[in-house]
Amino acid sequence: MQLWHSLLQLTVLASTALPTAVAASAWGFTDATVSVHTKGTGVGAGFREAIPNNKALSKPVSLGSADTLKVTLTAQEDRTAKRAHQVFLFLQDPQTGLDISYPFSVKDNGKSRIELTQKDLPVQFLSVSEPLDARFLIGSFGDSDAYNGAAFKLTVGRNPDEPVPTVEVSRYGKLPEIHHIFKTDAQSPPLVITLAFLALVLAALPVLGGVWLFLGVNLNHLPTAFKSAPLPHAVFLGSLFAIQGIFFLYYTSWNLFQILPAVAVAGTVAFVSGSRALGEVQGRRLAGLR
Amino acid sequence: MMRWCLSFFLFGCLAVVNALSSSGNRLLVVLEDASEKSLYSTFWSDLKARGYDIAFESPKSDKLSLFDLGERAYDHLLLLPPKSKGFGPSLSPKNIVDFLNKDGNVLLTLSGKSTTPSAISSLLLELDLHLSTDRSSVIVDHFNYDTLSASEKHDVLLLQRPGQLRPDTKAYFDGEGVLAFPSVAPHTLGDNILIAPVLRAPVTAYSYNPKEETTAVEDISATGSQLALVSTLQTRSSSRFTLLGSVESLQDKWFSATVKAPGSGKETNTVNQDFAKQLTAWTFKEYGVLKVGKIEHHLAQDEITAEDLNPTIYRVKNETVFSIEISEYSNDKWVPFELPADDALQLEFTMLSPFHRLKLEPAYHTENSTVFRTQFTVPDQHGIFSFRVNYKRPFLTAIEEKHEVTVRHFAHDEFPRSWKISGGWVWIAGLWSVIGGFMAFVIVWLYSEPASAKVKKNQ
Repeated sequence: MQLWHSLLQLTVLASTALPTAVAASAWGFTDATVSVHTKGTGVGAGFREAIPNNKALSKPVSLGSADTLKVTLTAQEDRTAKRAHQVFLFLQDPQTGLDISYPFSVKDNGKSRIELTQKDLPVQFLSVSEPLDARFLIGSFGDSDAYNGAAFKLTVGRNPDEPVPTVEVSRYGKLPEIHHIFKTDAQSPPLVITLAFLALVLAALPVLGGVWLFLGVNLNHLPTAFKSAPLPHAVFLGSLFAIQGIFFLYYTSWNLFQILPAVAVAGTVAFVSGSRALGEVQGRRLAGLR
Repeated sequence: MMRWCLSFFLFGCLAVVNALSSSGNRLLVVLEDASEKSLYSTFWSDLKARGYDIAFESPKSDKLSLFDLGERAYDHLLLLPPKSKGFGPSLSPKNIVDFLNKDGNVLLTLSGKSTTPSAISSLLLELDLHLSTDRSSVIVDHFNYDTLSASEKHDVLLLQRPGQLRPDTKAYFDGEGVLAFPSVAPHTLGDNILIAPVLRAPVTAYSYNPKEETTAVEDISATGSQLALVSTLQTRSSSRFTLLGSVESLQDKWFSATVKAPGSGKETNTVNQDFAKQLTAWTFKEYGVLKVGKIEHHLAQDEITAEDLNPTIYRVKNETVFSIEISEYSNDKWVPFELPADDALQLEFTMLSPFHRLKLEPAYHTENSTVFRTQFTVPDQHGIFSFRVNYKRPFLTAIEEKHEVTVRHFAHDEFPRSWKISGGWVWIAGLWSVIGGFMAFVIVWLYSEPASAKVKKNQ
């Protein structure tokens, strides 16, 4: 209780002492009203509030796209109405700090009025999320302290169906990074599937061998053949294997110019020795051995 | 011997005198009234101390010319507001723009005390800087004026030194202290990418024409921070133009004035001298001049020989390293360039449009340069690409580097071998099993005895 009492005393003291201590004369305003009139509605309809002298309005003021904001006030120098050189309605976006002032039209007796629509606002103000700070700036030449005080909060209402106008400005600065998106690499099927098909393919050889064995395959003529024409048979088979070996080398490391002469040599050898070897085979056929 | 010493000594002196600006020391000051020269004596002596060779000329002088045989006759130009209707034929807007185009730097000052000539206004229009239509406006601010010298007219603005323009720019004009700007002719800025404002009016300021006898302003084009006091412009060739709204702020009187803001009750000394030094130093290219040194690109590998540097051809998907060496001229020497905190030096790898835009990171410093480097994979697209570094920022001279390279496709022997692709194993096995089968068939055909013949024989 005691504490509250002393605090109250202090504030009363401060409030009386402050104006006299700071300056002999100061600018201010009285009879301030703010009203919003919507186009198409009758006179007297809409928002209308009186702003307390030299203080801010606690309620926010909303300005729609078809509305007209009207503010009137009487500028005062030391509580006597007087014409000031600067009577401005100052709007600021609290987030970006962007500011703009609108001068009131002032009469000789200090009575000032201003009308604003959304068309008068810069486009940047049409897309703000926070309400704008509206302040009164009242000042003039001479010694009197100028007045700069909050007046009200102005929310800019937008029709959600209309697109918010944006401004494109170009400034030198860093640009967003770009990382090239690469095409995906070629994919192989899962290894299990590959191995299964690989086994199937390789199984063809044993199957072939088995079928041949079932049909009674044998190498019974090999000694006879090598006895009658040993060189042609050895060279013919050797050259056939050599040709396959050359193809294998071509697949792994050789190039075309390396294999062409090699194949030519091996092919000639195969042709010459093959005709001899096949002659021997023909001899066996004529002898009725096959 | 004596002569040698003397010439070395003279050479040394020249080097000292030439030291400060990176683009020459010939400064032309255009001043109409020679008697006004003494008002700025501290300013002139500051400039002389920094090595400038100042030539004072009246705009009316016949021999005044910015060019000599088609070349610039001066490196820098300082224009004080004329009393008469303009600067005359040798300083026409076209000549001044030509001077800028030939890499000359210009500091243009205005004053709110007299009407600005329409010739200057049209020069400023060329640069997208706009004066009020009556060209005789002056800024007043009933909240931030000097109570000692302008208690009635409120036209001596007191301002804090400007800080950074944006978080990603260098602060060349910052510092502590209060600036006093008497009778400022304000200008507004067009939406031009080359313009960077330095000092704006306080939000509560406005401009009016003192010659109009109105007791209240009702028709104004711009207010508050939309009004600029000091603005800069860098042309595309990096020559510099600065517009200073208050020539009086350069006077001796305001270099060391004591001022007092309303309400605060504290008297302070102005720091105009420091600010004037910063402004002239920037305009005459003592600061913020960038120079590109070595540019190197090569494949990312441990050992780099001279032949590996800057190849003309790359393959798609090569790992590539690019590095660029940048120095900044500061005061009188080249120093390693430091990026502003929020900024980035970016490398673009482009063919028509950028495929990569990457941040170049500072890799190491040399005595007077920083080497920025990045590593990336060449895109999987062949064609004629270029490494581009396009670094244009407010207050810094432009860097525009373009180095063309060819990007080729994989050669036929650079693809992975077929046995490395697991999906190909089935086909490879098929091929070799056919070959194996064929060879077995040849042997069987040559040497197998027919089964039926055997049966016949047994019968």
